[in-house]
Amino acid sequence: MNKYGDPMIKTENLSKSFSGLEVLKNINLTVETGEVVAILGPSGSGKSTLLRMFNGLEELSGGRIQVGGISVDANQSQRERNKQIGKIRLHTGMVFQQFNLYPHKTVLQNVVEALLIVKKIPREKAITLGEKLLKRVGLLEKKDQYPNRLSGGQQQRVAIARALAMEPDLMLFDEPTSALDPELVDEVLAVIKELAHTGMTMVIVTHEMEFAREVADRIIFMADGVVVEEGTSEEFFSRPKTERARKFLKMEEVIN
Amino acid sequence: MDIIWSNLPFLLKGAYYTLLITIVSMFFGSIIAVVVAIARLKGNRSIRWLARAYVSIIRGTPTLVQIIIVYYGLADYGLNLQPLTAAYIALSISIGAYLSETLRGAIQAIPKGQYEAAYASGMTPIQTMKRIILPQAIRIAIPPAGNTFIGMLKETSLVSVITVTELLRSAQLLIAQYYVYMPFYLAIAVMYWILSTGFSFILERIERRLSIYE
Ligand SMILES: Nc1ncnc2c1ncn2[C@@H]1O[C@H](COP(=O)(O)OP(=O)(O)OP(=O)(O)O)[C@@H](O)[C@H]1O
Ligand SMILES: [Mg+2]
Repeated sequence: MNKYGDPMIKTENLSKSFSGLEVLKNINLTVETGEVVAILGPSGSGKSTLLRMFNGLEELSGGRIQVGGISVDANQSQRERNKQIGKIRLHTGMVFQQFNLYPHKTVLQNVVEALLIVKKIPREKAITLGEKLLKRVGLLEKKDQYPNRLSGGQQQRVAIARALAMEPDLMLFDEPTSALDPELVDEVLAVIKELAHTGMTMVIVTHEMEFAREVADRIIFMADGVVVEEGTSEEFFSRPKTERARKFLKMEEVIN
Repeated sequence: MDIIWSNLPFLLKGAYYTLLITIVSMFFGSIIAVVVAIARLKGNRSIRWLARAYVSIIRGTPTLVQIIIVYYGLADYGLNLQPLTAAYIALSISIGAYLSETLRGAIQAIPKGQYEAAYASGMTPIQTMKRIILPQAIRIAIPPAGNTFIGMLKETSLVSVITVTELLRSAQLLIAQYYVYMPFYLAIAVMYWILSTGFSFILERIERRLSIYE
């Protein structure tokens, strides 16, 4: 979807307001193709909002955003923006904090739904691909179960398989382990780590510091709707540049 | 008792019409309900307003008056409907209004995350509604809709006023012939009861069948 070497995500003066309240201010950032970026920051700093703008789940209020060479900006007409967002979504997978599996569909049906409805590929091909992905997340034997029969960790792994089914170039994760019981966190993180090693471009909002440190190439640290600090994972965790980041890291350390 | 047995075929024919009217109105009423519920939730201003007016008017007026308007009222404008057709139309429109409210509530009960997951995977709003939201909403709406359907079965007796020979009118016709009330009225009461119990039974089965994922 983009020329080799172009950034996967690029934002220019991106801003977002909710009924007058500005929650993202002038965000300028890039995510390179193949990069794994973790977005960190205190609660309410705008991490989820920013992530959701990457695939158009939140409308932008100002500025411009480019994902995989497809751009959306505040000056386009609504119709034009929707068209561009539609294109972006075809190449972007998303994993949510609450999994958001379709409860009325089996595990396998969850995974293949978009293949059948959006990509309209033949059922047999979709099922083959779906089963391959379920095997990859270790849940092939659950394919005919309904999601409510699965543990939270299993549900989230299904959700990852579902997002991968569209063969995305970019994966977005919004606190993928925050809704999980502590003993189920690792199985999900393991799947995400495995994915990182395949060279998938990923943006991960997380409160799991150790995981971020390990899996992310780069950290974007946000507070109060702005990017306060950016750097390699190594830099950020061992030598945070700003007072704000130091404070945040200390807090997280206390919590964990 | 003998006059019941000897007239049973006639009464059963009435029961058949009661059942037929119920099922046909249920069917078209459900279609109306889906359209109106979505119109109220996702339509533009004037469509929302129209859908609201429909629901308000139907729920705010007696079903009997609606039936009479469709059959006798429209005849004033040269629209002479068959009694049975008028019954289908009036009752579908009526049940559609009640069901649309049930369905609207059910659609609103579906978490936002379901839409987001579908949109994120590239589905359009229409695909999302059809494949993800409605199937879940319908499952939620089935128990209350079941009550509406059973109420509907009983309300079909109203169309006896426009000379549809359903159960109630079959009894009335027999009464006019034999000059006894109780046996016939009791007989149809039993038949209504059997029909609604049968209905409840089927609805419960459907409910159980659809709730396997819970
Ligand atoms: N739909 C909305 N309507 C109004 N305000 C919103 C909405 N979504 C988010 N906000 C506000 O925007 C700000 C940023 O929210 P966001 O969810 O992006 O934060 P976050 O960094 O993801 O926080 P957390 O770590 O708690 O998930 C918050 O002040 C929040 O209250
Ligand atoms: Mg968040």
